[in-house]
Amino acid sequence: VSPRLRAALIAGAIAATAFTVLAPYYGGWPGPPAPPIFVITQTVVLLAYLLVGLAAWQFRPAERIGLLFTVTGYAWMLGWLTDLHAALPFTIGYICNTLYQPFLAHLALAWPYGRLRSRFDRALVAANYAWNIGSNIVVTLFWNPRFTGCGSGCPANLLMLPGSTQLNGAGNLIVTVVSTCLTVTIVARIARHWMSARGYARRALTWMIWFSLPVAVYLELLEIVSDYDTGLSGVVVYGVCPLILAAGPIAYGVRMLLTRNAAGALGAALVNLEPGPDPDLLRDALAKALSDPSLRLAFRAADGDGYLDTHGLPAGPPPAGRMHTPLGPAGDAILIHDAELRHEPELVRAAAAAARLALEHARLQAEVRDQLEQVRASRARIVEAGDTARRRIERDLHDGAQQRLVTLSLALAMARRQAEGVSPALQELLESASKEAGEAIAELRELARGIHPAVLTESGLAGAIQSLAERSPVPVVIGAVPAGRFPAPVEATAYFVMSEALANVAKHAPRATARVTISQRTEQLVVEVSDDGPGGARPEAGSGLRGLADRVASVGGTLRVEDAADRGTRIEAAIPCR
Amino acid sequence: VPVSAAGPAPLRVVIAEDAVLLREGLSRLLADAGMDVAGTAGDAGRLLQLVAALRPAVVLADIRMPPTQTTEGLKAARQIRQLWPGTAVVVLSQHVETEVLFDLLADDPRGIGYVLKERVADIEQFTSAIRRVASGESVIDPEVVSRLVARQRQDSPLRTLTGREHDVLALMAEGRSNQAIARQLWMSPKTVETHVGSIFSKLSLAPAAEDHRRVLAVLTFLRH
Repeated sequence: VSPRLRAALIAGAIAATAFTVLAPYYGGWPGPPAPPIFVITQTVVLLAYLLVGLAAWQFRPAERIGLLFTVTGYAWMLGWLTDLHAALPFTIGYICNTLYQPFLAHLALAWPYGRLRSRFDRALVAANYAWNIGSNIVVTLFWNPRFTGCGSGCPANLLMLPGSTQLNGAGNLIVTVVSTCLTVTIVARIARHWMSARGYARRALTWMIWFSLPVAVYLELLEIVSDYDTGLSGVVVYGVCPLILAAGPIAYGVRMLLTRNAAGALGAALVNLEPGPDPDLLRDALAKALSDPSLRLAFRAADGDGYLDTHGLPAGPPPAGRMHTPLGPAGDAILIHDAELRHEPELVRAAAAAARLALEHARLQAEVRDQLEQVRASRARIVEAGDTARRRIERDLHDGAQQRLVTLSLALAMARRQAEGVSPALQELLESASKEAGEAIAELRELARGIHPAVLTESGLAGAIQSLAERSPVPVVIGAVPAGRFPAPVEATAYFVMSEALANVAKHAPRATARVTISQRTEQLVVEVSDDGPGGARPEAGSGLRGLADRVASVGGTLRVEDAADRGTRIEAAIPCR
Repeated sequence: VPVSAAGPAPLRVVIAEDAVLLREGLSRLLADAGMDVAGTAGDAGRLLQLVAALRPAVVLADIRMPPTQTTEGLKAARQIRQLWPGTAVVVLSQHVETEVLFDLLADDPRGIGYVLKERVADIEQFTSAIRRVASGESVIDPEVVSRLVARQRQDSPLRTLTGREHDVLALMAEGRSNQAIARQLWMSPKTVETHVGSIFSKLSLAPAAEDHRRVLAVLTFLRH
C-alpha cells in the first residue's frame, strides 16, 4: 500500500472517529445528549472496521477485503450524520441510516478474500445495494421528522414530499419482508459456500458462519423494532447489540494474526522434523501447517520429466481447485495444494521455505552418512590390508630368512664336527658363527612375533591369550575365553586390544594383577582387560589407548575405558563379529 | 660314525620338512648319528604315506608345512599317534607356544618331543633328544619351560621352592628322568628324589611314579 494512501486512510479514520465521538455532544441538538453507551458502541464498531481494514490493506494488499472493511466503516458512520442539527446532514444521515447493511452483506459473501464467488452472488449483492438505497429514499420521501417527537426544533427533511404522511403499515411490511428475504438468501449463500468449501477455505468460512448468523438475527430485530412496539429497551437494541457488528472485523484481525503466527510456527515445526529424510512425515507436517489434508509433496522424477509424489504416483498439471508451488528456484520438488491457499502467499512461502530447508537438511545428512560409510569402509580396508601385509611379512620371515638361518646353523654345526681334531682354530670360529646364527634366529623370531603373532593364526585367541599371559611382566589371570575361531580381522583386533591393554597395565600399574576375559555376545566379541592397580588410564592422555580406540573403531567396534581411582582400570572392547 | 653290523638295529626315522636344504641336512645329520633315515617328505600327506609304508620308530616333523603353512605337521603328528600308537614323534617349531604343546601332549605324552628347530645346531643334544623320545620319554624344549617358570604369578607356591628345587623342576618339565637330572646337576639320584618329593608336596601335586605323567603334571601346574 502506498504511503499516501496509508496516510489518507489513517487521517480518515481519525476524522471519522472524532466525528462519531463529538457529534452527539456538539451536533447542535437541544436537550441532554444521548447516553454514553450509544457513543461508545458506535465508536467501537467504527474503529473495528476502520482499523482492521487498514491492517488488511497493509498486510493483504492483494485482497479487496481491506477496502470493503474501510467502506463499511464509513457507511456505518454516515448513519450518524443525523447527530448534526442541520437539514442536509440530517437528510443524508436518514437516507444512509442502514447503508452499512448491504456493505456488510457484500463483505460476508466476499469473505475472506474480498472477491465474490459467482454471478449469482454479484447479482444478490447488487440487488441488496439497490434495495437498501432505493427503499430508504422512498421511505424518506414520506417521512416527516416531526413524527419522531422533536416538534418544531427538528431539522428539515429535504426530500420530504410536501404534505406527505407517514408510510402506512403495508409499506413498512413490504420493506420488512423484502429485507428479510434478502438477508435469509445471503445467509443461505454463506452456508452453501461453507458446505462446498474444503480444507483451508472451509476453515476460513467457519468464522464467517459464526459471525453472520447473529448479525442476521440482529438486523431482523432492527426491522421488527422499527415497525412494532416490542417493549425492548432502546439501550439494548441500539446501545449494546451493535457490538455484534464489531465481531466480524475482530475475527478477521485475529485470523490474520494467527496466520502470521502459523507461518512462524511452521518453520520451527519443520526444522524440528526428525528424522529429516522421511518425505511422508514432511508432507504430514506441511498438511497440518497449511490446514490442507489433501496436500501432496512431489519430487522431480529421476528422468527429469514430470513429478512423482511421496507415494510414487505421477503428479500431472494441477486439477481444478489445486495449484503447484515450487519449493525452490530449481523446482526439484513442488507442493500441490488447495488453490484457496493462493490468498495466503506468505504462509505458503514460509511452508515452501521450511520444506526446502528440511529436504536440504535431509539431503546433506544422507550425503554425510554416505561419506561416513565410505570412510568407514575404507578405514576397515586399510587396517585389513595392513594386517594382511603383516601376516605376509611374518610368513616370509618365518618360512624364508628364519628357515635359511636354521639350515645355515645346521651346516655350521656339521662343519664344526668335521673340523673336530683337524683345526681347533677353525672349530672355534665355526662355533662362534653357530652361536651368532642362533642369536640371529632368536632375534628374528621375536621380530616376526612382533609383526604378527603366528600363534594367533595357529591356535586362535585361546592360544594367543595364553602366550600373552606367559610373556606379560605382570601376573595375568585368564578368565573365560570362547573356544571357536573368528574372522581374521576380529581376532587381530582382539589380540591388539589385549596386547596393548596388558602393556598399559605393565607400564602404569607394574604391581597390579591383570584379568583378561573374552565373551561372545550376540554378534559381538567383548574383550575385557581389567587390573587392580591405582587407575589413571585416560584415552586422551596416552597414544596407546588412543590407538586402541582407533583400531577397534576400524572394525566398527567400540572401546570403553573405565577408570576408578582405587579400583583400577577396566578396558572393554566390543568388536562386531557378524 | 658308521654303526657296526653287530650293534642293535639302527633307529628308523622318517623326516618331514618342506625346506629342501634343511631336509637334506637333517637327513645327513641323523644318518651320521647312526640312524636309519627311511624316508623324507615335503608335506603332511606324503609323510602319512611314508609312515604307513615304512612304520618308522620315530617321526621328525616340521609343524609348518604346505599348503597352509600353519600347523600341518601338528595335525599329521596327532594322526600318526592315533593310527600307529607307539610311534614316537618329534615336532620341530620355529617358535614355541604352549597351546600347541598341550594340544600335542593331551592324549599321551609318552614318546612326544616338542623342540625349537634351531636346536639342530647342537647335534649331540638334538640326536639324544630323538633317541630319548624313541625310548618313550617326553622332550620339552627348555625355551617352553623357562617361559612357564618365569611367568608372573601372584602368591604362587613356586616362591617357596629353593633354587635347587627350581632347577630340578625345570628339568622335570623338560621331561628328564631322575637319573638324567642327577647327571646334569651333579647330584646323587637319592638327592634328586628328595628334591622331587619336596617339590611335589610344596606344589600340592600328587606324586607320580612315571616320568611322562610327571611331565604333564608339572607343565600343567606351571601353565596355570
